[in-house]
Amino acid sequence: MPSVQTGYAPNLKVFKQSLKTAPLESSIEYLISLLKRRQIKNSRPCAIATAELLRQVVAKSRWTDVGKLIARIQDVGQRLIEAQPREMAVGNIVRRVLGMVRDEANEDRTEDGSDTASSIGSPKRQHSHTELTSTQGPPPSSLRFSSTTEGSDLSEVNGDDVFGGRSTPSGRPPLMASHTSYAVVNGVPVQQSMFNLLSATPSPNATPSGPSGTNSPHGNHPLHATTLAERMIITSKDLRAEVINGIEEILDELEQVDDQIAAYAQEHIHSNEIILTHSSSVSVYKFLLKAAEKRKFTVIVAESYPNDHEETHLAAMGKMKDPESEEDGEGVYLKSLQAAGITVILMTDASVFAIMSRVNKVILATHAVIANGGLIAAAGARLIAKAAKVHRTPVIVVSGVYKLSPEYPFEFESLIEYGDPGNIVGYHDGTLVDNLEVDNPVYDYVPPDLVDLYITNLGAHAPSYLYRIVADHYKTEDINFHKPELQF
Amino acid sequence: MSHAQKSAKGAGGGGKPVPKSKKGGASGQKKPEDEREETLQAVVLADSFETRFIPFTIETPRCLLPLANTPLIEYTLEFLAMSGVADIYIYCGAHTTEVETYLQTSKWHPSSPASPFISLEIVKTTARSIGDAMRDLDSRDLITGDFLLVHGDLVSNLPIDAALAAHRARRIADKNAIMTMILRAGGLGSHRTKSKGIEPVFVIDPTKNRCLHYEEMHPLQANKYVNIDPELLSTHNEMEIRTDLIDCGIDICTPDVLALWAESFDYEVPRRHFLHGVLKDYELNGKTIHTEIVEEHYAARVFNLQSYESVSKDVLGRWTYPLVPDSNLIAGQSYKFERGGLCKENGVILARTCKAGKRTVLGKDTSIGDGSVISNSIIGRRCQIGKNVLINDSYIWDDVAVGDGTTVNRAIIANEVVIGKKCKLQPGSLISYGVRIADNKDIKSGSRITRAKRKVDDYDSEDISFEAVPSDPLIVGEGGEGYAYDNEEDSDDEASAFHSNLIYSTAHLNISSESISTLRSDISADTPTETPRSRTSSFVSVSDDGEAGSSNEGFHKDAVAGLLDALRKGEDFDGAKLEFMGLRLSNNATDHQMRRAIVVAFTKYISELVEKESLGASEAAKKAFSAPGAVKFLNEQAVGLEKEEDDQVDFLICLQKDLVHRNNGAVVLAAVCQQLYQVEVIEEEGFMKWWNDAEKLGDEEDGEMKNVRERTQVFIDWLQEAEEDDSSEEESD
Repeated sequence: MPSVQTGYAPNLKVFKQSLKTAPLESSIEYLISLLKRRQIKNSRPCAIATAELLRQVVAKSRWTDVGKLIARIQDVGQRLIEAQPREMAVGNIVRRVLGMVRDEANEDRTEDGSDTASSIGSPKRQHSHTELTSTQGPPPSSLRFSSTTEGSDLSEVNGDDVFGGRSTPSGRPPLMASHTSYAVVNGVPVQQSMFNLLSATPSPNATPSGPSGTNSPHGNHPLHATTLAERMIITSKDLRAEVINGIEEILDELEQVDDQIAAYAQEHIHSNEIILTHSSSVSVYKFLLKAAEKRKFTVIVAESYPNDHEETHLAAMGKMKDPESEEDGEGVYLKSLQAAGITVILMTDASVFAIMSRVNKVILATHAVIANGGLIAAAGARLIAKAAKVHRTPVIVVSGVYKLSPEYPFEFESLIEYGDPGNIVGYHDGTLVDNLEVDNPVYDYVPPDLVDLYITNLGAHAPSYLYRIVADHYKTEDINFHKPELQF
Repeated sequence: MSHAQKSAKGAGGGGKPVPKSKKGGASGQKKPEDEREETLQAVVLADSFETRFIPFTIETPRCLLPLANTPLIEYTLEFLAMSGVADIYIYCGAHTTEVETYLQTSKWHPSSPASPFISLEIVKTTARSIGDAMRDLDSRDLITGDFLLVHGDLVSNLPIDAALAAHRARRIADKNAIMTMILRAGGLGSHRTKSKGIEPVFVIDPTKNRCLHYEEMHPLQANKYVNIDPELLSTHNEMEIRTDLIDCGIDICTPDVLALWAESFDYEVPRRHFLHGVLKDYELNGKTIHTEIVEEHYAARVFNLQSYESVSKDVLGRWTYPLVPDSNLIAGQSYKFERGGLCKENGVILARTCKAGKRTVLGKDTSIGDGSVISNSIIGRRCQIGKNVLINDSYIWDDVAVGDGTTVNRAIIANEVVIGKKCKLQPGSLISYGVRIADNKDIKSGSRITRAKRKVDDYDSEDISFEAVPSDPLIVGEGGEGYAYDNEEDSDDEASAFHSNLIYSTAHLNISSESISTLRSDISADTPTETPRSRTSSFVSVSDDGEAGSSNEGFHKDAVAGLLDALRKGEDFDGAKLEFMGLRLSNNATDHQMRRAIVVAFTKYISELVEKESLGASEAAKKAFSAPGAVKFLNEQAVGLEKEEDDQVDFLICLQKDLVHRNNGAVVLAAVCQQLYQVEVIEEEGFMKWWNDAEKLGDEEDGEMKNVRERTQVFIDWLQEAEEDDSSEEESD
């Protein structure tokens, strides 16, 4: 009984509910129209909706081999991206899922290739791959390449709920955490290894059965009992479960990303500092709250008029909605900054430069991060970053890895969305409406040289290092999957 | 509760022959506490049963006309999808099949996986007005709960949840709160999206958001007053009278609304009839109608060509965001918004030296030649724009070819039009489907050119079939195709005078009350230097109303016919007078219109007598005025018993004006003047004033007007002499 529902207008919650019952194709179209009508907007809801939809795609579509699954996901992803190309989180999630499917497929394949079912455990193979990649690939930084955690350990660390129900009969190695950027578990940052990803790229050693992507164990293993057909069914079923698990991990990551980022807060915010931030971002908010657990400092909030000022005002008043509960209509508020002991000062965007000399640090939220280290953020961010540059104030950008996009647009203008001019000039002012052309850019592009540090759920990185994270998270063949003309 | 009420009303109204009892039973089963329905229903009135988009709507249904290259109904359905509507009923009038085909292949049809609607039904109807459609809807028993009533030309990005919740709360509190209208505040100043010409006046009780009174005002009406029931003033402490609201036609209705429609057979349009009527009969039915005035977001209707232009501008200015071209609402669109406000699809070919400027939309595969400049315009798909073409503020649909060196200014050009080289399209041109215009043509401002076969008019022949109209080389040039569409017979009500043109202006209209008032003011102001000029203007407007046939044409025709009939039969005038008064009241005709009608009737009769019975002019006039009751009638109606000078002068001007067109007008005028003087309808002062005013015009006076009154000179001289005699006699006394 939807009696608590306040209205009929669809949103993320309605979409999630409809996913359970609606046929797949209409769910896809539903999300497309929601994206077009901006009824699902901003990175996190878009990412969540995309991941939820892809889970349904994997679960409900008919596919017999990996190639078809990948093609299917690519097709859906392409449609979603075309629906709203400026919500880059959509494309990011699609690429993540695609990469994960490829990994799983490769794993199956390598397993088939070395089909000595019981004797060879997964850790050993991982090590072999480590050796392989460490000699071939670019020298990995010690920071990133610290752990070659064995599969069993990983599954322990990650908890049972993630890997529950995937004890496959074939003794497949546990799912590696590479699909997700799990970094903080139980408060301990675990450095993610990238060899997993690299190992998954098809190498001649690993894929003896050829590039076709089909599992053909017969040639190599004539003694194997199962027929090809049976085997394929099993594989696809297993693969399906694996991929769905992987998507669920991504969803978990989306849920936890802010807390993971916040875990780094105390390393970056010191006592009695004055922090300048902009617009209302849950990531930044949680980051500040976490730092306030141990330190006292001052936060100046620029209101980001006209597109986000109301939310910013509410946030400054301590009424920031908790994103996990926002779907429930009523909204549970996060703890207010004041209650956490932070002095909050709200000011207009125009006075940013005036106040910059007193500011110790600028913390910005993002809408999307591009591979060159630049970012797309709420309009006004560039002004702040520029002012900070002049005053030699460090600029820290807080962003989940899911916002990091491998796309590198030809012109950054194309990433900037122009919104409703009614936010600036009231539509009831007929003279202005008739005689003025009012532009209301929603986003700003901030070039990488204005940013000093990125804090993601994986840790802190310099802008120039982001390309590595991009390479870790997305496969090169998926980067331009939505542009067939750019694929080779 | 409300359902019980409804069924009772339905039975009481007795207007519905179909399943009254069944409906009552069906709604009676619903438990009253089931206050919220599972799904939201909407009724889309895809046809407005008007002809404001002529000539385009001859060939296409109005709701499929493209606005920013997207059919209008897409915006409406997008709005409904945005609001979470589940069931939709679409009422179409003309071109139902086309709408049906379009919707069946669109993403909205429930068979498409993309459809957000559970059901979408196109209701076939023979309705000839919105009222008919509503009554039909009532009889079909489709509506189970609250529903949204919108027009098929609505463009809105308004979240409707708040208004719905408010409506629901009101309805639970009071079952008589049957309807909530959503109105957009439009500010006090002029606004391009506000309805021009016809101005809706809402009287609202702001404490309860209740609409108390509704009226529409327009420049043609004689009195500029809103009549508010004094009762309202005593029962409401606060009251707002607002004319600043943009009526976007979104109504949240309960089924009771349909019952009310069903009760009143004469209601045709939702506002002027239904709203006005229901509010007026509040004492009778006890129903209240509420308003929800929104200050944010966009909501407007494309109800005529002017609003087509203004809403197009709003779309280009992104006021309707996210319903903008680069949202690519229809599958297959690929618009991208570029720096500088240019929005184009893939495959557009722009020559290196052309300028496609701000606020411009270009459809797929359109090419623009060297040196062309395009600004503030929308161009559809597959258009060929030649070299050195200037396009400003224009709306060009698909597959149009524009030749080199042509200038298009503020025009609408429909699909598959070919425009030759070095043409000039003046502002306000409307070029309909498939027209071809030869080279070097100058299309006049405000012209409508079509190629459509037209229904043969009754005065042309008895045939009712459609016939192709030969092209008019004067308009489209040698080798062109198309003819100027003449829409006079289509102006079903005076309001259409405001709506039928792309560019709003009252210049072509007879603002009758204004012309009278200028006359009055300059007489009273007594400023001789200015008099000639303003008199000319009043003359011009008077002369206009003979030809433009704009204001209250219906009244004029009927009244003249009635009076003429009475004169011919020689009947007593009392009957004619009664009929005349009835006509006058029902049409809300002004004094001036009335006089004009009387004058025309008399002069027609007199010239008939002169021509057919070859009577002399004075005899004819005598005969005309000797009809029983005629003098009394003239005294009462034409001039008024008070014998106001101004009224007399106006009467004479009408007379003079009308006689310009008639044979022997001058002779007749002289004769009539004499008769009028003799029967004491017009007094000396009136004649003198009229004459002097006309004399003062000097050279500025229309030549014809002057010729007509030439013969009356004798009569006036005689009058003057008589007067002088009088006064000299008085002096000598």
